This record gives sequence, structure tokens and C-alpha cells, in this order.
Amino acid sequence: MSWGNPTAHALGDSAITVSFTVESTKEVTARIRAIGAAIRASRIAHAEEVIAAYTALTVFYDSLHVSYEQMSAEILTKCGEASGTEPATEGREHRIPVEYRGPDLDSVAKATGMAPSEVVEAHSAVWYTVDLLGFVPGFAFMSEIDPRLELPRREQPRPRVPAGSVAIARKQTGIYPFDTPGGWHILGRTKVTLFDPNREEPSLFRAGDRVKFEPTA
Amino acid sequence: MTITIVKSAPYLAVQDLGRRGYRDVGVPASGAMDPVGLAAANVTAGNSLGAAALEWALGGGSIRFDAPCSFALAGATADALLDGAPVETGVRSLANDGSVLEIGGFPTGRFLYIGIAGGIEAPEVLGSRATYLPAHLGGWAGRLLKSGDVLPIGKHRDDAPRREFRAPADLGLDYSQRTIRVVRGPQWDLFSDGDREIFLGETYSVDAISDRTGYRLKGLPLATEIGSMPSEAVCPGTIQVPPNGLPIVLMADAPTVGGYAKIAVVASSDLPLLAQLRPGEGFRFQEVPVEEAQRRRRRMAASLYTIQTLAVVQGHGEFLAEPWPSS
Repeated sequence: MSWGNPTAHALGDSAITVSFTVESTKEVTARIRAIGAAIRASRIAHAEEVIAAYTALTVFYDSLHVSYEQMSAEILTKCGEASGTEPATEGREHRIPVEYRGPDLDSVAKATGMAPSEVVEAHSAVWYTVDLLGFVPGFAFMSEIDPRLELPRREQPRPRVPAGSVAIARKQTGIYPFDTPGGWHILGRTKVTLFDPNREEPSLFRAGDRVKFEPTA
Repeated sequence: MTITIVKSAPYLAVQDLGRRGYRDVGVPASGAMDPVGLAAANVTAGNSLGAAALEWALGGGSIRFDAPCSFALAGATADALLDGAPVETGVRSLANDGSVLEIGGFPTGRFLYIGIAGGIEAPEVLGSRATYLPAHLGGWAGRLLKSGDVLPIGKHRDDAPRREFRAPADLGLDYSQRTIRVVRGPQWDLFSDGDREIFLGETYSVDAISDRTGYRLKGLPLATEIGSMPSEAVCPGTIQVPPNGLPIVLMADAPTVGGYAKIAVVASSDLPLLAQLRPGEGFRFQEVPVEEAQRRRRRMAASLYTIQTLAVVQGHGEFLAEPWPSS
């Protein structure tokens, strides 16, 4: 039997989500990412895009030319073949300069019983892994933050969080690439451009990349 | 050749059939809310079906053609006047140099498409001219159109197809249909029997607080508490159930991933119908097997190709083999 006992579900008429019967952990996410990469590399006819997530991966396909039955069988076969391979060494490393003067730094310090300087230290001490991109182009969900910093999302999301805001919620941290609404706690800000359609690779981050934040004076 | 936005509407944007290939870095499909309406406007005007066109919602305004050219309306019906004379939906109309097209109220539907022979030559961004507002991508400088904007129109093969063309009434799409077909979603099995009965029996309507990202539904809430789950891929048509039990149908600009349970996904043949529903218009979901949803998708694509071919044969349309995109 394949790793994680994968089962296929239709996600509408033009996508297939394969769910793995597993708890979401760092290792599981890395393995699903590796399976997703193997599916991408295998160039299944009429398969168009792959999104590897925490406990599932999804393949978008051209349903004018291939049926659900045929495509799901092919994908499950690939999942079986790929499940033996060990996850590749993790992606690129990025060091992101951050000015830690975010509007929520003090409230996070208060809620966690830490000094603001300790919050900054805890947040910037860790190499995070990009688990998944989404929400808006280039937004990376990164884990895992210091357990002392874990807080639920803000009760009142902000209608506008400025681009470059570095924020935390629950076990994750992320950077807002554009001015958007947002409910995470903003610790600081970076000037790095996260998404630029004119770059050869528009998104700075890819799933699997590792990211460390560096406080600027 | 250009057109000028004389008086813009609260929502007026350049759209095409959307972006492909960047979902893994969070770039949504985006594109037309009613892709069949956009394609119909294009093929009727003499374009290939995925050319960039105007997507128009919410009220009146006007545009001016700065050279003779052909255009066509599709999608929502609108009270439209070309130099004071009524313009029919689904018919190729001929504009003169300086002609003004006035758009008034919408008797039915929500999104009107204006296809212009040659297509709108906005720059392609990540393979598409679709406007995606949250990231200011594509369209015209990544924003809604304003009064005074001048948009370049591509050179049509025939300069301007001058012959009249009437699209067949049957696009494979009946905008008066109030049954929206869905395929079971990945988390269908997590919902109770009672909830599935409500979901397939309830008459829902689209809440007024709805936009290009998602349509919130009004009706009886579902009771199963699933909570949030690890995020995974979603796409336009995905029906998510948040903690309040009221389903949200994700639309063109929906994010690429989401963390709510997905009870069902709207068949791509029927998503344009849902997109055109106004707040208060009741509809029901009907479950179909994925094979039927795929059959309907193929039939719809075939009928659009047929119209495109007819437009070529009867009126100098431009025939380009172009794939009908995925959801």
C-alpha cells in the first residue's frame, strides 16, 4: 500500500484532490511536497498544475481531453511510485531584514507575558519553512513559530494591512505581499518585494524554501 | 484603433479567461466571472473566444469607438444604445468612427461582456490580460477602468469584420435556469445526512455581501461542526462551509487555498449561471456525478467552438484554435 493511504476526490470537474490519511506534521508536509514535485516532473498528459498542501495535494487538469477516472488512476499510481522516495533536501534559504516596530508588537508582548525585545528575539531566532503559498500571490505560510508566541488571530481583522508587514497567527508566520485585509498580529515590516510579475520567478518564495528574519536597527 | 471610456461604471474592467500556471505561488485563476458570456461576446464580435473584453457590472456608463469596428454584447442583458439606437445582445453590431455605446440598466444578470473585434490590447501579465485587483495584476494598470481611459484595440485580421452575425440563441447555457449542478466535494462525507439534505433541498440566494472572490449564500445554515482543517487547494466553484454553516461559493478571484470543509463544487458548465444571479434570486443545488459535469463542460466548449466556426463562415470571424481553460 502507498504511504499515507491516498484517496482521490473530485474537486469539481477539472481538478483532483488526493487526501492522505495522516496527521499534519513538518515531515508529512515535506513528503507530500516531494510527491507533488514527482507528479509535476512526470508530466502526465493533460495534467496542468499541482498544489501540494499539508495533508493533501491537488492536480488541475484539462477535462476536455481526459476523464476523472483516468486522471485519478494515473495520479494515484504516481503517488504510489513516489511515496518510496525520500523528500529532497529542502529549498533555498532567504534572510529577510525586518524593522520590528509593528503595531501589534506591544500587544503580543503583553498577551505572551514577554518583553517586546524577547518577542523579537524569539521570532527572529528560527529558520522557518515555507509550507504553502496562497491567500494572495506570493503570501507564504511559514512554520513553526516559537510556541510561546502562539496566539489566535486578531478578533477584529484589519481592513488594510500594508504590504511588507511581517505577522504571526497560531503556529505560523508570514509576510503580506500586498495591501490587503488581514487578521494576523503585525510584528514588523520588510522592504523586500515578495511578488513581482516582471521577475523571471515572480514569487520570492517557493514551497519548501527556508526563511529567517533579521532585525534591523 | 482605440476605444475611450467616456463615463465609467462602479465596476468596469478588462477580463479574459484568466491565468494559468501560477497557482502554486498563490496566483488565482481570476478572469471573467461568466467565462461563457465573455467567450460568447468575443466569438460573436469575430474574435477567438479568449480575447480580452470589457466586463461591466453595476450600472450605467458609456464608451466611444475611435474608428469603425464591430462589437457584441453577451452575458447579462443591458439597456444598450449605439448612437441612440437599441443594441441587441448576441448580435454583431457595427460602430462608426466616434460612435458612442451607452449602457443603462441591466434587466437581467449581473455581468455584461462587450467583445470588440480585435480584442483589448492590454499588456499580458503572467500569460493573461485579466484584471486581478488585490495584487494589481493585469488588465489596465491592474485597476478598474476610469472615465477618460483610452484602450488600444488589436488589429483584426479583416481590419473590421463588417458583416452582420447573429449568434445562435442556444449557447448551451440557459440564464433563466435556477438549478445549479454540483459535484460532491472532498469533504462531502464529513457532513451529516441531515445537512446534505438541507444543502440539496434548500432554496438559497446570493447575499448582497458578495464579490468576485466569493458569493455568500442565504438560507438555512448547516449544523455539522467540522472546524478548520489544514489548508488545501480550492478553485472557482468550490463551496466552502465556514463555522456559521452558511455556504460560500468561491468565484473567479478566490484564493488558491482554503481551510474550510468543501461540501461540493459547482460544475463549470453552471458556474456562469450562478455568477449572473442577483441577490434575492432563489436557486437550488443539484448533485451530479463528476462524469456528467465533464460531459456538460465538453458540450459547452463544443457549442462555443461551433459559434466561433459559424462566425468565421458567415462573417469573417477570426479562427484560432484556443483551449478552453480549466476551472
